[in-house]
Amino acid sequence: MAEAKPKVRGKVVAAPTCAAVVGWFETPSALYHACESLRDKGYKDFDAHTPFPVHGLEKAMGLKPSRLPWIVLGGAITGFLTALSMQWWMGGVDYPLNISGKPGFSIQASIPILFELTVLLSAFGTFFGLWGLCGLPKLFDPVMQHPSFHKASDDRFFLSIEAKDPKFDSKTVTELLQKLGAHEVEEVAP
Amino acid sequence: MSAFIPRDVDNTLTTVERPPLILGKQSFNAITESVSDVVEGKTKRGWLVFFALALFGLMILGASLSDLVGVGIGEWGLNHPVGWAWDITGFVFWIGIGHAGTLISAILFLFRQKWRTSINRAAEAMTLFAVAAALIYPGFHVGRIWLAYWLLPIPNQMAIWPNFKSPLLWDVFAVSTYGTVSALFWFVGLVPDLATLRDRATTKSRRIAYGIFAMGWRGSHRHWLNYEKAYMILAGLSTPLVLSVHTIVSFDFATSIMPGWHTTIFPPYFVAGAVFSGFAMVVSLMVLVRKAYGLEHLITLRHLENMNKIILATGSMVGYAYAMEFFIAWYSGNVYERYAFINRAFGPYAWAYWTMVSCNVITPQLFWFRKIRTSIPAMFALSIFVNIGMWFERFVIIVTSLHRDYLPSSWGYFRPQIVDITTFIGTFGLFFTLFLVFIRFLPGIAISEVKGVLPIADPHGHDDHHGDEKEVAHG
Amino acid sequence: MSSKQQDLKDTERLPEATAKKVQTLALGVAAVGLALSAVGYMGDKQRFAFSFLTAFEWVTTLGLGALFFVMIQHVTRAGWSVAPRRHAEWLTSILWVSPILFFVGVFPNMHTLYEHWLGEHAAHDAIVKAKQAYLNTGFFTGRAVLFFAIWAVLAWFFQSKSREQDSSGDTKLTEKMQAMAAPGLALFALSQTFAGFDWVMSMDPHWYSTIFGVYMFAGGVVAALSVLAIINIRLQSAGLLQKVSTVEHQHDIGKLLFGFTVFWTYIAFSQYFLIWYGNIPEETIFFKHRWVESWKEWSLLLLVGHFIVPVVVLMSRHTKRNKAILTVMAVWMLLMHFVDMYWLVMPNLDHHGVHFTLGDVGALFLCAGLGFALVARRAAASPLFPLKDPRLAEAHKVENL
Repeated sequence: MAEAKPKVRGKVVAAPTCAAVVGWFETPSALYHACESLRDKGYKDFDAHTPFPVHGLEKAMGLKPSRLPWIVLGGAITGFLTALSMQWWMGGVDYPLNISGKPGFSIQASIPILFELTVLLSAFGTFFGLWGLCGLPKLFDPVMQHPSFHKASDDRFFLSIEAKDPKFDSKTVTELLQKLGAHEVEEVAP
Repeated sequence: MSAFIPRDVDNTLTTVERPPLILGKQSFNAITESVSDVVEGKTKRGWLVFFALALFGLMILGASLSDLVGVGIGEWGLNHPVGWAWDITGFVFWIGIGHAGTLISAILFLFRQKWRTSINRAAEAMTLFAVAAALIYPGFHVGRIWLAYWLLPIPNQMAIWPNFKSPLLWDVFAVSTYGTVSALFWFVGLVPDLATLRDRATTKSRRIAYGIFAMGWRGSHRHWLNYEKAYMILAGLSTPLVLSVHTIVSFDFATSIMPGWHTTIFPPYFVAGAVFSGFAMVVSLMVLVRKAYGLEHLITLRHLENMNKIILATGSMVGYAYAMEFFIAWYSGNVYERYAFINRAFGPYAWAYWTMVSCNVITPQLFWFRKIRTSIPAMFALSIFVNIGMWFERFVIIVTSLHRDYLPSSWGYFRPQIVDITTFIGTFGLFFTLFLVFIRFLPGIAISEVKGVLPIADPHGHDDHHGDEKEVAHG
Repeated sequence: MSSKQQDLKDTERLPEATAKKVQTLALGVAAVGLALSAVGYMGDKQRFAFSFLTAFEWVTTLGLGALFFVMIQHVTRAGWSVAPRRHAEWLTSILWVSPILFFVGVFPNMHTLYEHWLGEHAAHDAIVKAKQAYLNTGFFTGRAVLFFAIWAVLAWFFQSKSREQDSSGDTKLTEKMQAMAAPGLALFALSQTFAGFDWVMSMDPHWYSTIFGVYMFAGGVVAALSVLAIINIRLQSAGLLQKVSTVEHQHDIGKLLFGFTVFWTYIAFSQYFLIWYGNIPEETIFFKHRWVESWKEWSLLLLVGHFIVPVVVLMSRHTKRNKAILTVMAVWMLLMHFVDMYWLVMPNLDHHGVHFTLGDVGALFLCAGLGFALVARRAAASPLFPLKDPRLAEAHKVENL
């Protein structure tokens, strides 16, 4: 490890061999309190990995609310305008069909499709927006190298502090995690 | 941490205390194990038997449809004045069944009904397969199946667009949107559980197969934050969507001026009926699945009882709609309206009408009694009745209104042909084949969601000794 | 009492001065209403009969909406809504004032309001004659008595059992109310449907719509939820309820208000759309009457005010949690409920556009004032939340995602 240590003197830069320090807790509440203390100590780039969304953890981690609703709104507006212009142009302008004397285009008869396409494109916005914001699919992530990480989707509550955090120092954070009660605190390679 | 609630505890007793949602061992790992066991264990003999039967049904569907495409839809027993019968009955029947899945996954979620977590996955899957079965009918009714794309606004050689004023075109948009959004919602829910299966995989092929679909999910809370928002938005979108689908299906009938079809209560009445039939199907399926895979501690009697209550409520709404239709037909003073309803109840199709009323309105009233709500054989029988009744409801609405039109000389009596019957049987084959594959290879219960409703999942739970200051101060 | 329960201690009663103020306000509104009504009545007796029916429907549907809220909370064993449920219980007192309003202000004017099936030409009208078995004075009166009896008894049952629990803390009472709620809802559904048919739909006896009962129901629930939102916000702002009824409950009521506004729109749209598309003269006449001259603008006001504005405003979580915005929206929806009732009743009289008069305002103030005077009296006499409800702790813990 020593040969990979930072070349710049006096400034702590993450070693390229270490992407994050990872440990796990047994209960959601232990993880919750660990996140609170990391937040209070000023860490930014740390993350919890849990088998289910632990209620309120974003507060303990100091995360901002999701930006997803704005993407959905964009989808909704696109869907609405698409449906409106499509029905107006196809039914009212390009090829009006005379069926029982009804007008080629009318707001009332357009409402069902207006609604459906608004919902469809909002749902696309939600779905693709979700994976876009999460940066998935991404089949490999350094934290997965932790020997017990397969339990993160079962019954253990992982905490990782990433090397890109400005306050990161592998030794300090390892000790910190151990002090907070984490098990198997280990460094993972990038 | 792993408390234990005996599996045979009756958690349906109505006290003001909240009975436990999940019985058995109350640990996260226990839930992972019991659900994954179904997917990872050996194939059961019973599953093989059912699967063989379902495949046989699927083959019947294949044969019927090949025949239909080869000969043409003249093979259906349709003739003037009954131009719609088993085809659209089957379509509405299957679309309706799908509605319970969305209701459980979306509406009960918005109402914070936590008990939904044990049944939503299977119910959502059921939605998708029901929509697939339903799509057989509009897909094949075009006769020349290779021209089915004319249903969509895609430029074609005639330079003509679909008729946007037609409820049937609205159906195309509604059902395809519904199928798509349900699939997205279902997949979003599956991702964390696929990650669980990936992490537990003992063979490389399983790890790759589940791993690809899990997309590298690692339970990051930054992801969960977006995930929960997305889940809520999808629930919020699905709620009006599911109402719109059966509303638009009801428009197929109600926008016409046919007595018995043109009535303003059709939209909510169809939605209630759809939810009603869908819950009956969920109950029928869950009774079998929980028994076959020993999941009685996760899909408890209380889950079944709650569903039976919903069946009772929606069945009563359907009864209300029948009553309103009948009353207003009389109240309208319109001779055609009145005749349509008298003909329904006492005409040549009276047998179908009274089957419908008995199965949809009368027998579900037995669910007022707790004993029946919590009896497995009783609920299984009643849920089958409801599905029979709801099939007959669509049949009655469609055929009785059509078979005696304004011109008495063309009055007739519809009889299904062999292809009508085999196609309908075949759709069951399709539905059960898909459902059995799902149960075998995907987690039938939402693992991560069930974990989230365990009491130990609360970071501020009772065993928490360093709780927030407020509690400490008062404790 | 354990420490846990002590945590939930909130102000139990309205301060006497406040209670008095609210009651005086309601009675004041009623008095102003009475004076304006007198002016309206002197001016045009026939017109005032219609104005009064509009106002009666406004306040009665609100009371029915509250009764529905109470029962649906019991039937679903809801835990979040303990405090709003008490406030809805107060509102059901309106259903004790309604029969008085009906038999004093509506019933004597039957021949004016329902002249199409009571008047002379009814005898020569084949369609009306075909429904005489239903539309006749005796049966109409009998039904009205029955409906009021059902509502009054249900309102009394849920109020008294809930109050009994305040002192005894007996959880058996919760079970009793839950057991009563399901059959209560069935009775409620049928009675309020036929009340809608009788009192409003039958004004034009040729016209019919199977969804009409649901339409009346949806509007009433919107109105009741609006009042619940206002009560919740006022009690919060006054510092009276801080624990069992908070911004989280306000948010939940806001969500329900949003939901039921959409539901109302769904029902209204279903009714309109199917009649518009079918285009049968005997049905479209209903919308034709409401699309002539200034009624057109009134109909558009209903569309914009009862659907577009609340849906856009209440969509966001921030607006539902904002006291000022939600208050404005709740008042707005109460106004829109009046616009809706007016739109249902008055075109039966005014065939050439809206003819808004002082009598309309007077009747509304009178009915609303009398109804809310009793509500205020009940509110003053009862604790602000069910003191010993077994789900109080749960209500306290509610948090919205």
